[in-house]
Amino acid sequence: MTALLTIILSFIGALVCGLMPSSAHRRIRWVALAFAAAGLGVSAVCYVNYSGGEFADLLEAEWIPSLGIDFTTGYDGISLPLLLVTGLVAVCGVLFSWTLESRANQFYAFYFALIGGVYGVFLSLDLFLLFVFYEIAVVPKYFLIAIWGGVRRQFAAMKLVLYSFGGSALVLLGMIAVFFLANDASGESLKTFSLLKLQKGQVPAEAQQWIFPMIFVGFAIMAGMWPFHTWAPTGHVAAPTAVSMLLAGVVMKLGAYGCLRVAVGLLPEGAQDWASWVAVVAVINIVYGALVALKQDDFKYVIGYSSVSHMGFVLLGIATLNLTGMTGAVLQMFSHGVIGALLFALVGTVIYSRTKTRMLNELHRLIDRMPGIAWVFIVAGLASMGLPGFSGFVSELYVLIGAWGSLSGWIVGGAGLGILLTFGYTLVKIHEAFFRERKTSAPGDAEISYTAMTMPEKIGVAILLGSALLIGLCPWLLTDKISPSLKLMLERFPN
Amino acid sequence: MDYQQLLLALLPDLLVVVALFAALGVDYSRLRGSRLAKRYQVACQISAAGLIAGLAVLVWQITRTMPVMESTAEGQLLLNTGTLTLKALLYAMGLGVLPLAKRDQITPQVSEYFALLLLATLGMGFVVTSRNLLGAFVALELVSLSLYAMTVLNQASRASAEAALKYLTFGAVSSGFLLFGLSYLYGATGQLDLTQMQDLQHSPILVLAYLLIFVGLGFKLALAPFHLWAPDVYQNAPTPVAGWIGSGSKIAAAALLIALLQPVSDASKLKEALIPALAALAVLSMVVGNLGALRQTNLKRLLAYSAIANAGYLLVGVVAFSAAGNISVIFYILVYSLASLGAFGVVAVLTDKLGRDAEISDFNGCWTKTPGLSVAFLVFVLSMAGIPPLAGFLGKFYLFYTAIEAAPEATNWLDGFYWLVAFALIMSVVSLYYYLRVLKAFLVTPSDEGKAASIVPIKIGWAAGLTLSLLAIAVFALGLWPEPLLELLKDFSPPDQVIN
Repeated sequence: MTALLTIILSFIGALVCGLMPSSAHRRIRWVALAFAAAGLGVSAVCYVNYSGGEFADLLEAEWIPSLGIDFTTGYDGISLPLLLVTGLVAVCGVLFSWTLESRANQFYAFYFALIGGVYGVFLSLDLFLLFVFYEIAVVPKYFLIAIWGGVRRQFAAMKLVLYSFGGSALVLLGMIAVFFLANDASGESLKTFSLLKLQKGQVPAEAQQWIFPMIFVGFAIMAGMWPFHTWAPTGHVAAPTAVSMLLAGVVMKLGAYGCLRVAVGLLPEGAQDWASWVAVVAVINIVYGALVALKQDDFKYVIGYSSVSHMGFVLLGIATLNLTGMTGAVLQMFSHGVIGALLFALVGTVIYSRTKTRMLNELHRLIDRMPGIAWVFIVAGLASMGLPGFSGFVSELYVLIGAWGSLSGWIVGGAGLGILLTFGYTLVKIHEAFFRERKTSAPGDAEISYTAMTMPEKIGVAILLGSALLIGLCPWLLTDKISPSLKLMLERFPN
Repeated sequence: MDYQQLLLALLPDLLVVVALFAALGVDYSRLRGSRLAKRYQVACQISAAGLIAGLAVLVWQITRTMPVMESTAEGQLLLNTGTLTLKALLYAMGLGVLPLAKRDQITPQVSEYFALLLLATLGMGFVVTSRNLLGAFVALELVSLSLYAMTVLNQASRASAEAALKYLTFGAVSSGFLLFGLSYLYGATGQLDLTQMQDLQHSPILVLAYLLIFVGLGFKLALAPFHLWAPDVYQNAPTPVAGWIGSGSKIAAAALLIALLQPVSDASKLKEALIPALAALAVLSMVVGNLGALRQTNLKRLLAYSAIANAGYLLVGVVAFSAAGNISVIFYILVYSLASLGAFGVVAVLTDKLGRDAEISDFNGCWTKTPGLSVAFLVFVLSMAGIPPLAGFLGKFYLFYTAIEAAPEATNWLDGFYWLVAFALIMSVVSLYYYLRVLKAFLVTPSDEGKAASIVPIKIGWAAGLTLSLLAIAVFALGLWPEPLLELLKDFSPPDQVIN
């Protein structure tokens, strides 16, 4: 029951914030911080209490018996890092929206509805329930972007929502097919949505052939899979900072989590048949995302495409279908969750609120004028690049080692190229933003010095960068929890 | 025939009829020359009292504290838990329309307005309980005629008269088709009693009978291509009436469709002949409804197109031809109607002082002026769009679930109904676009200050407020906890016979 508190607290938070008067925005942000921190606290408790690879904290109850739907929740080593990253990003999202005033009550109502949906997905052990939470997370995104977003927000919000629902449509169809086609060991039809029961039975191999791509692609759209990734950069860019943090940090993970838990977890034979295709698409994601990032002039678009590129590593890790690679995938979900959120926070709030522009060619030697912020960004950029010592390095290493084990050399080579490109665009963009002299700098421009980071910003940066560093230095903190659960999943694979 | 039993069985309807005459009588005699507001007040109260009394008796009947016969002579009426629940819900929703009708005071013919409302409700109650071809037809006509008359009540508006005329002519023709189809059905089976029709054989005359029935009921349900009346009527009828056309009459027509198709469910050859027709109607309605709605600027017109699309989804459950499929259709039309009535209710409350047709942009900035109504509208529209955890999602899910259940082992795309469900899902994604566009006006866009005659903050009134809150709560609750209602509706459709 402990874990369920995350969901309950979030929805209560949504209600409480929504009912407060919008003029009380100073009070609302403390309330929001309290609810977000409570969610993080509960996730941390779950983390501390968890060991072994089995599902913990199980809650099984009948929900709609006439349709074979149960209310089953619980978590294992795969969901645990994602619960943590959700908590971390939720807290930091509030910190980086500290100055938000307009319609603050509604903002946090939608914000916590989204977070509640996200926690719900990570905790659901019933396909129907998972789908319900997955959809609950979509609508708040529309309003968060359309109301509080930046340029082209209406377009971006609508695009994001239509892509999301397109994906869910595929998932829903596949899910109903699984319900009716799954058999238990004796060939008896199971007629259940419960993941626990479905894991014991199996779907006929020929049905997995067509259900797997349907469910996988459906979820992978949310994970930013090429060629369905285009919602991600536009959405990230138009969204207000806290929301782009959530989008990059958590929502894209929803998709990847669905791919792993539902598509691969329930349809192992389908996964084996399609793995090489997934790997090819994953490498395209990595390389294409990096190449496009290299060409961007808008700082936020750079980060947006780098997200697409980094999510490619998650997909590649899943496609390896071996323990090392998949551990890397889950670790990368955590790692990109915190680092991606950090980069969006830095670009969207910390830098933008001071320079009032995100266009790289309008920035002028920021290193002189905001040295502190510039160095923080450089460190974050290095973390994103996969510098040893940060979590990104460990997770990408795991993925690559895993890929050597089961995929062709071309794939690994492609991913390696992607890493080189990541180095390239990170360094080039850092140069452009912080060290380059603008061609037409206004007179006296260089004398302007910007204010230092505010306290909430400092705390947010410390939390996110600290977690990336901590996991980078002690990856066993997470891998010890992830691997046993993945091992159990892989044991159900036919050889 | 046991007349005492019959009296008990029909007590709810009787009470409504008494209220109807009382409303007319009081309005014509004592209140002659009184203020309009006063007359609306009294007529509304009397009608409400009648419906509440009827509802109370219905609850007794459902809980079986009052013994009531299962069916009357020759299957005229089937009074089991399922049909009675549906009837009770129709009465409850009719009760919800009353405060809305009272608010907009559109006509000096006060008691006629309420009498027609009660008549329509009464007719709907009969349609859902009737299992006799003639009885059902007469009841359906009672509904239709009342609705035609109510559409024209706004005498100040030419458009209202035009819409009513369109409704009447289309409706009369479709009734002709329906009656023609029913007569063929009678001719082929020799039965008027639907519960007695068994072992239907595949024959051209039966196929023709059902096709004619589809045309007739397709009109009532606003299925494309028989939908042409719907946008005009929804837009130009008085808003509460449009709400009642879009909810109550849909429930009645869907229930009748299910009852008429019941005998087909174990006639496999006939079933196979009818499925393509139903699937075609479903696909066409979804396309016409969803694509048509994309370009609407008038909110009520948009809701009409959304109704067409929703009628299309409904048929996805019908083609399953199973007990679960039938229940899913009834459940879906119920939750759709709750949401639709709610949405029309919000529009009625917001626009009745506007004095003209409200465009979607008129609702810009409603979140500042009427936050409560905006949230209620959000709930209704998201439910229609099928977003969990609202009831509309569960309804749609149940429809698709039963359609797949009918033939889950598909070897290719055209086996079973995977393709139909996939199509419906794609269309639901399309529909999201226009639903969000409406919600954008309500919740996102700031209000256009300076624009003359836009929506102003208004006093909702306790009755309308209560109605809308209850509808919103129902939409929420049925999404989270549908089991009790599903249980009550269970015997609306007899369980599938196992065919060996």
